Amino acid sequence: MFKSKTSKSALVAALFAASSVAFAGQFDGVGKSIDPKDVASWDISVHFDGDGLPAGKGSVADGEKIYQAQCAMCHGEFGEGARGYPKMLGDKLEDLKKHAKADEDTVSARGINNLWGHAPTLYDYIHRAMPFFAPQSLSVDQAYATTCYVLYLAEVITDDKMVCDAEALKKIKMPAVDNYYTDPRPDVKNTRCMNNCTKDAPVVKGKAVIGDISVGNVKKVGEGSH
Amino acid sequence: MSEEKITMPVSGDEQAVASEARRSFLRKSVAVAGGAVMAGTVAGRAAAEPLAIPPTNKMLGRGVVSVPYGMPSKFEAHVVRRNVEWLTPDTIASISFTPLQDLEGIITPAGLHFERYHGGAVDIDPATHRLVVHGLVDKPMIFTVDDLKRMPQTSGVWFMECPANGAMEWRGVQMDSLQFTHGMISCSEWVGVSLLDLMKAVGVKKDATWFYGEGADGSGLQRSIPLPGAKDQFGKPIPDADKIYKDIIIAYAQNGEALRPENGYPIRIVVPGTEANLSVKHLRRIKFTNKPLVTYQETRHYTDGMPDGRFRQYTLINETNSVVTFPCPDKKLSGKGAYEIRGLAWSGRGKVKAVDVSVDGGKTWKEAKLVDPVLSKCLTRFIFPWEWDGKETLVMSRAMDETGYVQPTLRQLREVRGTNSIYHKNSIQTWKITANGEVKNVQIENL
Ligand code: HEC
Repeated sequence: MFKSKTSKSALVAALFAASSVAFAGQFDGVGKSIDPKDVASWDISVHFDGDGLPAGKGSVADGEKIYQAQCAMCHGEFGEGARGYPKMLGDKLEDLKKHAKADEDTVSARGINNLWGHAPTLYDYIHRAMPFFAPQSLSVDQAYATTCYVLYLAEVITDDKMVCDAEALKKIKMPAVDNYYTDPRPDVKNTRCMNNCTKDAPVVKGKAVIGDISVGNVKKVGEGSH
Repeated sequence: MSEEKITMPVSGDEQAVASEARRSFLRKSVAVAGGAVMAGTVAGRAAAEPLAIPPTNKMLGRGVVSVPYGMPSKFEAHVVRRNVEWLTPDTIASISFTPLQDLEGIITPAGLHFERYHGGAVDIDPATHRLVVHGLVDKPMIFTVDDLKRMPQTSGVWFMECPANGAMEWRGVQMDSLQFTHGMISCSEWVGVSLLDLMKAVGVKKDATWFYGEGADGSGLQRSIPLPGAKDQFGKPIPDADKIYKDIIIAYAQNGEALRPENGYPIRIVVPGTEANLSVKHLRRIKFTNKPLVTYQETRHYTDGMPDGRFRQYTLINETNSVVTFPCPDKKLSGKGAYEIRGLAWSGRGKVKAVDVSVDGGKTWKEAKLVDPVLSKCLTRFIFPWEWDGKETLVMSRAMDETGYVQPTLRQLREVRGTNSIYHKNSIQTWKITANGEVKNVQIENL
C-alpha cells in the first residue's frame, strides 16, 4: 500500500479509524499514478480567487462578436435573456434586495450582476459549459473575450476598451461579492405538539397562484428559472 | 446443440382466446346489470358477480427471454417520470419528477428516479472512462472503472433529493400533484467505493479541507464538498463539515445493476443526506483542495435567497421532511370507510424517529407506525389507519428525526426565510380531501 509522506493530521487519522475495511497491502497496484502535468487538459477549474486561471486574454470587442454569433439567441442581444434562457443583466443588486425585502418574487430579477460573486468563476463557467450547444468549444482567449463582454453587458465593467486576462479578472469586484454568507441550520424550530396545537380555525389557501398543475394537466402558464 | 421446437397453432389459438374474451365480456355486462339490481334490494351492498374464467387461464404466455430485460406490465404505463414544461426553457437543463403516488416501499426503480440535468444525460463507455484523483495528495492517481470495482466495496440505501424539491410552493400553492410537489426525491441502494478508501490510496495531505468532483458531461458540472475544517471564501466554517464526508461513496451501481445514464453512468459521487447537486454524475475527476471553488453551482444555483436579499450558501443538508403519499391529489378516495394513510419521511441528518399525522388541520396529532426498515438518510414509510367519514378533511404528516428536529410548518419557514429561497422547502404538506373524495394541495397560513 502507498505510504503517506505527510505527518498524519486529525483528518487523516480519522480516515484510517473510520474506514470500514482495512485497506492494506492487497490493493496496492489498483489504479496508476499520474503525473500532474498529464492532468492539465482536464484540470480547467478556476477558484473564486482566480486560482487556476490560464494564460491568455481577450477584449470586450472580440467578445462582442462571439457573443452576438453564439450566445445572443439564448441570452438576448443586450443580455436581457431570450426564449426563457437566463439573463446576463439582472436588476441592480439594490433593487433585487428591495424586491426581496418587500417579499416580491426575485427570480426574474436575477443576473450576472447581482448573483455572481467572482469574475474568475464566470470565466470558468463560460469556458467549460457555454455555448450551451457546444460546450468546451471556445479557446482560452475566446473565453476570456466572451467573459469580458458578458461583464460589460451585465454592467459590471463600463470600459468598452477593456481587455480581460487572469490579473484583470482577479481585480474586478463583483457587486454581489459580499452578498453571500454561510450560516448554520437548523434555523427553524417546531415542537412536537400532540393536542390542542392550534387556537384558531385553519386559514386554508388552496387557489393555485400561477396554475392548476396536476398530472395530465400540465399547462404552459408562465416561465421561471431555477 | 439442437433446439427442440414445439409447434403450436398460435394464430388459431389467439382467435379462440379473443372470441372467448368477447363472450366473457358479454356475460360480465349481464352480471353487472344483475348485481346492480341486487344491490338495490339486499342491504345496499353490491354482491360479487359470478366469476368468469379469465382469458389468460386459457392461453399460453410469453416464453423466457422474450423480454430479455423485463419491463413493467403494460397496465402500468401511466407510472412514468413527468416534467413541467414551463419550468425550464428546454429539457436539457431541466428536471423531471418521480411518480411517488404510484410507488410502494422505499426503493425507487432506477428508471423512475427523478432527473436533473445541467447539460443532458450522456452515454459514456466505461472501458474508456477514467477517474483522476489529484490535488493535495501524495500520489495523484488515475483509475479505470474496473479498478474501482476491485477496491473494497461499500454500500448504503440512501435518498437522493434535489434541494429544489417543493420550490414552486414557497409563495403559494401551484402544483395539484404529489409528483410535482415532492417528486424530486428518489431512494436507491448505492454500491461503490468509500471516499475514505480512495483518500487513503492517494494519501490525502493534512491541509486538504475540501475536494470537488467534476463530471464528464456537457455541463462539466463541478461542486465543492467540505471535509473537516472546511471554510468558505470569507474564512467562515462550513456547518456539518465534520459529518458529511464520512458516508460518501463513488458509486457504480444502483439497485443491483449499473447506474443508469440518467443517474450518472458509469460512476458518480453519492453524498448521503445532502442536496443531490453534490453527488456529481459521470464523475471524471476529484481534486483535493484547501478552499472551495465557489462556482456557478455554489452561487447562481443552490444558494437560498433570504428575505433581506442576501443569499445563504452551503446549506448542504436536506433537513427532515415528510409527505402523505396516499391519499394525494394524484390518488383520490373512492368513498367513505376504512383506509390507511400512507407516506414517506426522511432526514439528511440520520434516521426518522417518529411521524405524526393530523386529520383535523393540525389541532391534534397521532403517531403513525414506521414501517421497517428504518435506515439513516433513507426514505422511511409510515402508515396510519384511518376511517374517512366522507366529510371535508385536512390531512398532514410531521416527521421528527433522531436529532429531535421536528419538521416545521410553512409559516415557520417563511418567517425565517421569506419566499424567495427556492431551495430546501421541507415544511409540512397539507392535502384537503373534499366531500367527493378529491384531494387538493392547500396551504394553512396560520399553522
Ligand atoms: C441554446 C441556448 C444557449 C446558448 C446559445 C448559450 N447559452 Fe448560456 N445558458 C443556457 C442555459 C440553458 C443556461 C443554464 C444552464 C443550467 O441550468 O445549468 C445558460 C447559462 C449561462 C450563464 C449563467 C447564467 C446565470 O443565470 O447566471 C452564462 C454566463 C452563460 N450561459 C453564458 C453564455 C455565453 C457566453 C454563451 C455564448 C458563448 C452562451 N451562454 C450560449 C443556454 C444557452
